[in-house]
Amino acid sequence: MQDFRNRLLIATVILGLAFLVLGSRLWYLQVLRGDEFAEFSRENHIRVERIPAPRGRILDRYGKELVVNRTSFDVYVIPKDVNDVDHISSSLSQVLSLDKNHIDNNIRSALTKRSFKPVLIAKDIDRDQLAYIEARRSSLPGVIIEINNLRQYPHGSLGAPFLGYIGKVSEAELKNNPKINNNDLVGKTGVEKGWETNLRGDDGYIQKVTDALGREVQSTLFLEDLQNKKSMPGNDVVLTIDIELQKAAEEILGDQSGAIVAVNVSSGEILALASKPSFNPADFIKGIDSKTWSNLVNDKSSPLLNRATQGLYAPGSVFKMVPSVAALNEGVVDQEEYLHCPGYHKVGNSTFRCWKRGGHGWVNLRGAIVKSCDVYFYKIAERMGIDNLSKYIRAFGFGSVTGVGIEERAGISPSRQWKLKRFNKPWYKGETIVSSIGQGYVSVTPTQVAMMTSAVANGGTLLKPAIVKEIVSYSGEKEFRHASIVSGKIPVEMEMLELIKDALVGVVNDPDGTGRAARIKDMTVAGKTGTAQVVSLDAQSDQRKHRDHAWFTSYAPAEDPEIAVTVLIEHGGKGGAVAAPIARKILEVYKTLKEERKADDNV
Amino acid sequence: MIMFDRRLIKNFGWSLFLMTLAFSFVSLLNLYSASYETGLVSFKKQIVWVGIGIVTLVSVSFLNYRFLKQHALHIYCGAILLLLFVLVFGKEVAGSKSWIDIASLATIQPSELVKIAIILVLARFYDNDYQAAPYGFLDLIKPIILIAIPLVLVMLQPDLGTALTIVLVSGSIVLFMGIKKWSVAFILIAIIGVSFYSWHYSLKPYQKDRISTFINPSSDPLNAGYNAIQSQIAVGSGGVTGKGLRSGSQTQLRFIPAQQTDFAFSVLAEEWGFLGGISLLLLYFMIILWMLDTSSRAKDRFSMLVSFGIAAMFFWHTVVNVGMVIGLLPVTGVPLLIFSYGGSSTLTAMIGIGIVLGIRMRKFSMSADPIDLK
Repeated sequence: MQDFRNRLLIATVILGLAFLVLGSRLWYLQVLRGDEFAEFSRENHIRVERIPAPRGRILDRYGKELVVNRTSFDVYVIPKDVNDVDHISSSLSQVLSLDKNHIDNNIRSALTKRSFKPVLIAKDIDRDQLAYIEARRSSLPGVIIEINNLRQYPHGSLGAPFLGYIGKVSEAELKNNPKINNNDLVGKTGVEKGWETNLRGDDGYIQKVTDALGREVQSTLFLEDLQNKKSMPGNDVVLTIDIELQKAAEEILGDQSGAIVAVNVSSGEILALASKPSFNPADFIKGIDSKTWSNLVNDKSSPLLNRATQGLYAPGSVFKMVPSVAALNEGVVDQEEYLHCPGYHKVGNSTFRCWKRGGHGWVNLRGAIVKSCDVYFYKIAERMGIDNLSKYIRAFGFGSVTGVGIEERAGISPSRQWKLKRFNKPWYKGETIVSSIGQGYVSVTPTQVAMMTSAVANGGTLLKPAIVKEIVSYSGEKEFRHASIVSGKIPVEMEMLELIKDALVGVVNDPDGTGRAARIKDMTVAGKTGTAQVVSLDAQSDQRKHRDHAWFTSYAPAEDPEIAVTVLIEHGGKGGAVAAPIARKILEVYKTLKEERKADDNV
Repeated sequence: MIMFDRRLIKNFGWSLFLMTLAFSFVSLLNLYSASYETGLVSFKKQIVWVGIGIVTLVSVSFLNYRFLKQHALHIYCGAILLLLFVLVFGKEVAGSKSWIDIASLATIQPSELVKIAIILVLARFYDNDYQAAPYGFLDLIKPIILIAIPLVLVMLQPDLGTALTIVLVSGSIVLFMGIKKWSVAFILIAIIGVSFYSWHYSLKPYQKDRISTFINPSSDPLNAGYNAIQSQIAVGSGGVTGKGLRSGSQTQLRFIPAQQTDFAFSVLAEEWGFLGGISLLLLYFMIILWMLDTSSRAKDRFSMLVSFGIAAMFFWHTVVNVGMVIGLLPVTGVPLLIFSYGGSSTLTAMIGIGIVLGIRMRKFSMSADPIDLK
């Protein structure tokens, strides 16, 4: 038996060694790595539910709501809590008028994954549907209602082009902003996009205890492990827009394609920014469906284009303010000098016509502006040359973006260098001639024209247009307040500018002025008409797409300018006949609103 | 007629018996916590099983092991019949036909009880065919057949965990009795060959998954590796002192799979920490040591081998189960004796302890046997 005693001794040693290994491993897991595993186990059973923060509102300059939020009720089903899929899907399909098979498949396919993750059935159900489901909660096990925030537009499509729309976040946006989550809606255009960081709130969260299957545990187990964070709504963005003036501008535009820009000439604040045709931002609230989207994108009338800031047009005669300033400041002409307009002007072998075939006869600068004589400007442009002219075109802000903060285009400020770079060709004299009357390569946005007009009106300061007046936090603190930003000074002496301003008053008020349709009672309006050719100088066609663009840009009151109004009607025809009366109406509304508000203040 | 000797009471192995009672208490407490969230159903059943087990333990301890020696072959044949019965009429649970339904009151798993039968029959074999020199391969044909029959029947169910413990326990006995070196080499080659064959032709995909996830648990954290990872998180997060009774989040929220049965140890480790875990390991260590001690004091080869075999059974169940729970060994369905919920394994363990107790009680009565059933 001694032999077996030895073997039993060996067995005992093996026993001891094996248990030593088990004990050491236990020591390693529990004592050495215990804290690490404790954290793992915590993460295991705590589910974080996000509380989406509402986006900030967008208000007009007087605090009236343009974009707000409303509550939406979304229906979800937790597949594992459903005991009779057939019953649930047929009840839901009845209430929500959805396809039964579709709901059925959604629930069943999630069931196989042994998941407690809610399956979305319907977003934003109406009050009757909500009441119906709420009343039958007990007979619909597994059906839950989640509350969400959705954008709401109390004024429909009013201001849509600059307010912009929201949509599902893209990969790139997701990367740039850590606060955004997958499937979030973010601003895609306009103020919604430009001020996304301000409008977006800080999401909060609730932690919940869940079991291994992801099901929320109702008991009081492990409550001490939980943390919650409140959501912080986004900041309100107060615009410079006056909702009443905006309404008037959009109503006046009506069905016409075009844009209206109204700006405060001393602060650069945009009071109205209308662009037609436009779209209904409500279509984007829940994520736009592909059919509506493709209709919008393929629409020939470009409803998604904000014509006021993104539309590029030849400015036509409204541009004549630029060569006027240039010529006076460069000294190539003065107020006293009269130039002869026979109705055309010859440069080399080319003939450039005045819009008035018979000619204007002898005109000085004032007369040329008032009657919009083209030949006068051909001649002074020929005298100063493109290099001098393009210097002033740039000084007025053309060819570069204004920095308003929403989508815009720079347009073209033509020059020798520009043409060489663009076409690799030298500059021709004739191109200087057509540039002087806002034709040829020159292309501008209505907002740029409004800022040019403001610069003339306010004595030569080119301002950066502003669309946001204030940013106010949820708790009411002002995070930002607009102060006017000077983009540049127009190189011109005050007396010279006064001469031009006097001529602009003449355009509207002189008996032979082209902009007489813009006159209003009790307020002197100054302005300039423009009729921009679309195809070529000689195109004669009845087709609407070949008709000229009608321009009118103005400011008032002429003695102490407050507001600049620029009107563009695509293919509208004559600026004096079509655009000037529209500007008049806007100015009238502005004047009435001002008087009403003054009266209200006095009361 | 049973004649009773007062010396039996005097020599009764109180320490082992008390350890067993301590075990039963701790395992029930642990099961109480693990089954609380599911309405204590298994806790209540296990109380009954432990009760039956203790009564059986005491009864078996008073049975003379010579009776077991005489009837080892009968017990063995009875066990084989049970295995055949289960293959034909057994109840299939989770893909294995391992259970016999007794009047819908309880289910038993004969493959657990078979281990005792194999230990007895091997002890009987070595008692009869004892040779001092190491056994050669040819000498072992008989015991190998005795092992192979139940082994194959268990594998047909299939019950990989029990098959593994049968191999480990009977292998321990064979090695203990001595075996020629080249025979060891031959058997090793055979094992490697069989493993290779099984891996390619015989193992089910889930069984392969278990082995490959043991090698790299995070390769498939949601499926096969899930058990291993969650179990280690549970054990590790218990720390030194544990989270407290019914306060283990891994247990109560059911992140631990099979927490009442195969993974019962991770519940203890989570809720009672390192102190609880190491105490239970020490308790097992003491029991096995006690059995080995009984073996070394045994007055004949049969009782020595039976004690050793039962010690080996406890040893391998503990090492394989705890090793699995703490991530040292792959996930196999080997329960921790007494500690894991389950009537058959508890009963098997209790019978085993009872037999060793019986042997211990009789170590002083070399010649005269006070109990004779005949």
